[in-house]
Amino acid sequence: MTTTTTAPAHLHWEAKDGLLLEVEDLHVEFRTRDGIAKAINGVSFDLRQGETLAILGESGSGKSVTAQAIMGILDTPPGYVTGGKVKYCGTDLLQVPEKVRQTVRGAEISMIFQDALSSLNPVFPVGWQIAEMFRIHRKMNKSDALAQAVRLMQRVKIPAAKERVSAYPHQFSGGMRQRIMIAMAIALDPAVLIADEPTTALDVTVQAQIMGLLKELQEESNMGLILITHDLGVVADVADNIAVMYCGRMVETANVHEIYGHPCHPYTIGLLDSIPRLDMKGTVLRAIGGLPPNLLAVPPGCAFNPRCKFAKDQCRVGDAPPLIEAAPGRHSACYFAEELLSR
Amino acid sequence: MTGDVILRAEGLKKYYPIKTGVIRRTTGHVRAVDGVSFELLRGETLGVVGESGCGKSTLGRMLMRLEEPTEGTLNFDGADVYSLKGEDMRRLRRDIQIVFQDPYTSLNPRKTVGDIIGEPFEIHPDVVPKAGRRKRVQELLEQVGLSPEHINRYPHQFSGGQRQRIGIARGIALNPKVLICDEPVSALDVSVQAQVINLLEKLQNELNLSYVFIAHDLSVVRHISDRVAVMYLGKIAELGDDAQIYDHPTHPYTQALLSAVPVPDPETTRNRHQIVLQGDVPSPANPPSGCRFHTRCWRAQPICSTTEPQLVEHDDGHGTHRSACHFAEPFVPAS
Repeated sequence: MTTTTTAPAHLHWEAKDGLLLEVEDLHVEFRTRDGIAKAINGVSFDLRQGETLAILGESGSGKSVTAQAIMGILDTPPGYVTGGKVKYCGTDLLQVPEKVRQTVRGAEISMIFQDALSSLNPVFPVGWQIAEMFRIHRKMNKSDALAQAVRLMQRVKIPAAKERVSAYPHQFSGGMRQRIMIAMAIALDPAVLIADEPTTALDVTVQAQIMGLLKELQEESNMGLILITHDLGVVADVADNIAVMYCGRMVETANVHEIYGHPCHPYTIGLLDSIPRLDMKGTVLRAIGGLPPNLLAVPPGCAFNPRCKFAKDQCRVGDAPPLIEAAPGRHSACYFAEELLSR
Repeated sequence: MTGDVILRAEGLKKYYPIKTGVIRRTTGHVRAVDGVSFELLRGETLGVVGESGCGKSTLGRMLMRLEEPTEGTLNFDGADVYSLKGEDMRRLRRDIQIVFQDPYTSLNPRKTVGDIIGEPFEIHPDVVPKAGRRKRVQELLEQVGLSPEHINRYPHQFSGGQRQRIGIARGIALNPKVLICDEPVSALDVSVQAQVINLLEKLQNELNLSYVFIAHDLSVVRHISDRVAVMYLGKIAELGDDAQIYDHPTHPYTQALLSAVPVPDPETTRNRHQIVLQGDVPSPANPPSGCRFHTRCWRAQPICSTTEPQLVEHDDGHGTHRSACHFAEPFVPAS
């Protein structure tokens, strides 16, 4: 660790011009017995106050690892951040001592996980677990912290919060457990909330409730929200901007309205074509052929080239194509982005 | 293509006892499936949708007779499935096969793909003679889009989508007439999901299979199904062909479910009328009286908590189809 440039007393994080988070050229690799898997290869993005950024990708695309690297909860070993910056309010979190990072985690940047049941401790009441945030970060006494927990449970609309504060996680339904996770995540009024597949394990009717709740909480406190998901449908509803990931790289970033109407990366085009839609009943789905590559053996050139119907020789050699501006405010990591855009 | 009735379920019920105390006394029942009747036509796909806990998987297992019914009858091609015994039952199993949800746990990790797909032939040796089995397995692999050379590999050497193809190959090995697909694509990534759906459709055309397609994803079900049954707490709430269910549903639960499905198009999804249901699905151990949906329904009247609505024909504005609601009518958004 380098010498501390910021004193630990630096507890007043302030966003300059609304810019909360700047991730620059982040690299993460996993050192496994079978070799080095490069999970993230140069991911960059910004997040502003009140913005909802959706990171979209299939399993193994590196979307969850990105979140873990930002939070500083990557399992090391086998995972290592090998390059790049994660700047929060101008300070690179990868350079500050762990003590400072602890004050950021939860209080400034907070996270919701996919599986609420395994993320909650089964042997403590939920109220106790929510109150823990206040006991540890705010040094509150037990009864004050518990009162705060009840207030939070009401805020995430758990019915009969006062009575249920002493109930255990197994006594709640899936949707209610996810609400408890959200209560814990927003307990300390974080400026950035990362939601990693928050509704994947839930039924559609409950999913709609949870997404509505997240949106409401964001509007109340002007949080920056990073929504990680594989579901193109969920994000269409709530996201402002979308970043599509494939094989540890961002292959396309754009405003939500543009990306669905005019995708300009073959992978995004393929994804949109391959999902069955309620409002359209076609005959055959235009599936993307093949499988996502093994991270231990990523093909040379563009990682998507073996599955791409537009691929030419240029795509199969050298480095991966860089993320370039295809149109104002739109980026695509494809050599033919402009052609695709004018299709 | 579609024709006569191949599978007819009448009043199927499955109650699981709840046992409590030291002497394991039965104190109640979980009514997983509570009076389900439908017909499956030859060559058609019947989609079964519902949220978790609505009994759709139990129903699938009952159709396979992996669960004995508490009540009800199941008629397959003229035979009463639940009264068959021994050799007759074993013969019948050939005609109804199942593909499971999780391709990671439904394949034995210690067996090669050849053994897994070939296992049905050990139990039904007369389908393919011993000498021709290996060849038949290779044909099956090819049919589901895998390379015949993969016959000696183990399940862990395949990805999720490929494993599901192996599960499908095993399902069609005995040339069944009915294939029950229990959430066959929900564990797969989006891009791979489409490949498996296309495969299922291709096989249906080639082999004239009838599918019971159980899933929670309404978009997938619409894509593949000819008719759709919407289940809620062990009962069918609404039954009709895909346009009837998706374009003019009359049951409030179907309407809410459809409005909650995310559509991957920001223009459509942000301008539509969304019905957000309050609360969770009640416990099937203690279902609400009358109509089971009345606790979450915005159209509920006093009659809904006392009298149970029957699954009968209701006007949907374009014709009629079956719906179990006292106040079944097409949804008009209050704008």
